[in-house]
Amino acid sequence: MMKKIKYIIFTVLFIGHSFGQDVQETFNSTRIINGHSVETLKARILQFRVEHRFGDFAGTNGGIQNMFGFDNAADVRFAFEYGLSDKLMIGFGRSKGSGTPYRSLLDGFVKYKLLTQNKEKGIPVSLSLIETASLTYMTASMDESQVAFFPEFVHRLAYSSQLNIARKFGERLSLAIMPTYVHRNYVDMDDQNGVFAIGSAFALRLSKEFSISTEYYHAFHQDGLRPNHKNSFGVAFEWLTNGHNFKINFTNSKGFGETQFIPCTYSNWLDGEFRIGFSITRDFKI
Amino acid sequence: MHKLFFLLFLLFAAMIASFKFSLDEKIYGHLDVDDWTVEESLIKLGDSAYLHHIENLDPQKAAMGKELVFNGFTSHNGKKSKRISSYFVCTDCHNTQREFGLESGLGITHSQDDDPQKRLNYAIKNDLPFLPGSTLWGIYNRTSFYNGDYRKKYAGLVDKAKDHLSEAIQVCSKYCSSGRDLEEWEIEAIMHYFKSEELKIKDLKLGPNQKKNLLKYQKLDDAEKKGLITSIEAEYFQSYPANFLYTMPADNRGYGKNGNWENGKEIFERSCLHCHDEKRVTYLGLDSSKLTGKFFLKYMKSYKDQSLYQIIRWGTYAKRGRRQYMPQYSKEKMSDKQIEDLIAYMQKISKK
Repeated sequence: MMKKIKYIIFTVLFIGHSFGQDVQETFNSTRIINGHSVETLKARILQFRVEHRFGDFAGTNGGIQNMFGFDNAADVRFAFEYGLSDKLMIGFGRSKGSGTPYRSLLDGFVKYKLLTQNKEKGIPVSLSLIETASLTYMTASMDESQVAFFPEFVHRLAYSSQLNIARKFGERLSLAIMPTYVHRNYVDMDDQNGVFAIGSAFALRLSKEFSISTEYYHAFHQDGLRPNHKNSFGVAFEWLTNGHNFKINFTNSKGFGETQFIPCTYSNWLDGEFRIGFSITRDFKI
Repeated sequence: MHKLFFLLFLLFAAMIASFKFSLDEKIYGHLDVDDWTVEESLIKLGDSAYLHHIENLDPQKAAMGKELVFNGFTSHNGKKSKRISSYFVCTDCHNTQREFGLESGLGITHSQDDDPQKRLNYAIKNDLPFLPGSTLWGIYNRTSFYNGDYRKKYAGLVDKAKDHLSEAIQVCSKYCSSGRDLEEWEIEAIMHYFKSEELKIKDLKLGPNQKKNLLKYQKLDDAEKKGLITSIEAEYFQSYPANFLYTMPADNRGYGKNGNWENGKEIFERSCLHCHDEKRVTYLGLDSSKLTGKFFLKYMKSYKDQSLYQIIRWGTYAKRGRRQYMPQYSKEKMSDKQIEDLIAYMQKISKK
């Protein structure tokens, strides 16, 4: 049995090791908008990542009074991410938390690129596996009816698994499908612990330095549960320079990470409840 | 009786054969001197040993040195040694093989503009990268380092390094590769690696007469010895000249009009992609896509780093937080004509 498992692990690890004309830069960075892209950092690259989501652009909480959301910060994340090899990366981050319902979050993830699209070898898609965990260390609520009541420590944890499948068509267009499973250890009465979602995204490179992308996650749940939930949708404009990546996006999600933006998006685009956000990355080779 | 006759015959045959053999050796000489090292030959002719002379090669050290040159680290005392530089290894900028054919001779004077083309043709023929640094092949036999404009670029840093190989290795490790000072054992290992790759007489294009003279070096008079030293030294690079050029003024640029894109393709693949393929050394990934072509053409007329006319001649410099930089190509390593060829190739791929 052990031998079998070892064999499986061995084959899975080595499937990803390909040589020859691998497709490069299916997406420009390791994230599309809220969620991950199929890309991993190169070996020995340490990336510092700052992500920000402002308040509602329009709607009841937006508009000119708070400068289209610029006065508020829905969420802020600082993270260090590192490429252990050209295929394997890890990351740790801390975010403010959107407050709906979590604040003060720590997150960590492991991402492994199993396959790289390669025409010569007949590999049609790139494939990554992403495992994320997040922990909120917010002060627990005294109100038992709140999701932030956290009777036990493990209730503060949430996990997600994602298979990220992407294909680059020609030089400019990339598409991705991201089946994702999110599990939160503790949820509201009208919620469910496990949420399955399918994400989809495309990126269009207008030039070597500029691209636009969109991302949509459709979450599935039982009828009658999660009445206020909205699906996450975003549009982004991305600038690439040598070692920097700057992205401005518009999205209805507030939180960062699969455990937040997939199950905990409650804002509606149509009500003007989308926000401007940005992410800036800086790479260091160490 | 028959037996005795047969024995005598054998003896006679052996004498004839040995006479023929020694005659051959006298005529052609190369049987022996080909495997003489160049340094050993020069010493025999009365020249002094190199400042960095190594008497006995230690193969173990040489193997460690080779790993340092190719990977930036090796194993030392059973542990993986600390990487010399996070950004570069020696072979990112330097080849370790011969870069010119024996037939063209090594003592090429860089007076003609087509010299970088000779080097490129040799690189194409032998599938070598086409790099801004001079090859490490035969570096043990060099006596001058950081020549020409490199001496201006690095100024006081190369005071000690300009005529001492181990000092030159130190400068290269600390400054050129944005790394650290090498430890004693590392320098020694690299020196032994260089020694293991030193030039031999067979690597040079010496005539049979010169080889014959070298073989009977003890019988030569001083003038003959000096003459032979000069002719041996003319056959390889004691030092590589380096002249940096200014960025070509925008008005003089041909924008690939008269360039040969096929030659440009070779330059792109052997020079640019050596580091930029899959962002191997740098953050800027390049490929032969339309987007890459358009990217360079967009900046073609400028004096920015994104302009190939600019970046090839000036390179970039190590900055805080971004210590990997691009070294410039001197006139000897890439010609203006070759830059035009490269841009012709960019024109070609941008119209795919």
